[in-house]
Amino acid sequence: MDIPYTVHARPDTGLYNAKIGVWLFLASEVMLFGGLFSAYIFLRVGADYPWPVHDLDVTLGFINTVVLIASSVTVVMAWAMLKLRKFGWYRINMAITVLCAGVFMFNKTLEYKAKFAHYAVKLSDGTFLTGHLPHGYQVKFGDVTEFAITIPVKNSAVTADPVGYVLPYIEEGTAPKFKTEDGKEVTLDKATFAELRAAALKKAEAEKKSAGTFKLTVTAPLKFAAKPSEIFGYTDTSITFRDGTIATGKLIDDKMTLEVDGIDARGVAQPDNSLAFDHRYLPDWQKAFVANREHHLAEFEKNYPTRDKARSATLQKESLYFKLHSVTPPAEGAAHGEGAKHGAEAHSPTAHGAEHGEAHHPTVILEKKDITFFSNFTPKLNTYYAIYFTLTGLHGAHVVIGALVLAYFLCFDNKRLKQDPEHLANRVEVGGLFWHFVDLVWIFLFPLLYLL
Amino acid sequence: MADNVEAIQKSIKWYFIIGFILIVFSGLTVGLSYVELPTHSLNIIVGMILATIKAALVALIFMHLSHERPLIYKVLAFTVVFVLALFLLFIFSHGDPLEFPGFYNPVE
Repeated sequence: MDIPYTVHARPDTGLYNAKIGVWLFLASEVMLFGGLFSAYIFLRVGADYPWPVHDLDVTLGFINTVVLIASSVTVVMAWAMLKLRKFGWYRINMAITVLCAGVFMFNKTLEYKAKFAHYAVKLSDGTFLTGHLPHGYQVKFGDVTEFAITIPVKNSAVTADPVGYVLPYIEEGTAPKFKTEDGKEVTLDKATFAELRAAALKKAEAEKKSAGTFKLTVTAPLKFAAKPSEIFGYTDTSITFRDGTIATGKLIDDKMTLEVDGIDARGVAQPDNSLAFDHRYLPDWQKAFVANREHHLAEFEKNYPTRDKARSATLQKESLYFKLHSVTPPAEGAAHGEGAKHGAEAHSPTAHGAEHGEAHHPTVILEKKDITFFSNFTPKLNTYYAIYFTLTGLHGAHVVIGALVLAYFLCFDNKRLKQDPEHLANRVEVGGLFWHFVDLVWIFLFPLLYLL
Repeated sequence: MADNVEAIQKSIKWYFIIGFILIVFSGLTVGLSYVELPTHSLNIIVGMILATIKAALVALIFMHLSHERPLIYKVLAFTVVFVLALFLLFIFSHGDPLEFPGFYNPVE
């Protein structure tokens, strides 16, 4: 059975059916995005940290805005050309629209990738250091000789599985030989562990204990290296793995090597004495930080003499969130050298350092006790990045789906194009309405997330 | 509806003009966001007004809402009411009777 009223209007509604359908769908889409925009308002009025403004790549965002607007023009042109039966122009306009969707998603990928690789580390005094972790971050253990393995008799969420949760983090060497408590030498794999496990459970049941436990020792001490998220916890002398296995050894290194590209002291009571300027970290940068702050305060006083300095979020950011663009602080008083640039450099996001990437930033080795929290720029960092990824991710999914629909009309609807162009024009109009809606959402997303 | 050939031919010119206006407005939004207005709330209000104008242009011209059948306006009327209700939900976050003395007023 054919769907009725796909070409001509239904007499009572005055519309072809698909158009009512897509408008009802768009109404529900408005509610979906409306709910998320509402969440944005909630998170923003309730944020207990300086809400990031101009923190994303504005240039990239603006390019994407122009790309989407251009595609909105071409998709409505594609429909108009189809109505005028200019099939060649229809194809060209539709192809440009799909191409624009590709460009948009490519830029989005660049943006997301940069966020995944960029880290923020909160120090114990409230300072945030931003930068890159060139070697990742791993906790390292040495001299590990003994493993205590626990297998609960009853079903439990945590049960020993050293093959999956311990062995992968051995740093070097081939499969080590383990010694059981009765002196047998084994290489640990799924089969041998199953045997050990069965024996331990049997013993526990015979002794009416709630868990079977046994120890494994190694002849040659092992080295371990794992991300903090890959293990359950550690002390100076032991690691607890996520399967409950506890290894005894010695903590070698849990320091974090960070290439610092920003010092955000907005959350510190005395920004000038931030932990970032501790003698172990970036003492040389304190002068530059103070100079930058004074510079921005003076500018603000000059430009807005009547304003309250404490109430300008922009001033707070410019004066206390200091961006580093070179390995060493700019020299003082060098009127024609690097120093002359420093004022402009300090607040220009496109200063020369940014182009060359991480290689132009100082490296600090942070001690574990100074780190209270760290994360890459993902939802884990704060509610702003949570809502940023939710909204732009959902919007990106709409771009992809819209582009697939339009690409289908372009590539696989040629029979309809020749036999029933009016029907195809209606399809393109409906697909186009969805596409305009995607553009409409972006019109609000761009200023709310990138600019304001 | 812009269904006849003449009306469509006339509106083609407008599609490009509107596209151009949208890009200009986007640039304006970016520029104004760097201007320090007396409060940041004002920046947000100005930015949202510009965005609403842009959204209205897209809806009215590109989505043909400037000349649509009554049924679609009826559907959208409900949507507008409910989505505005969603945006105003945050007011309830001020609704703690123990702590909320009224909206914050900086001029004491």
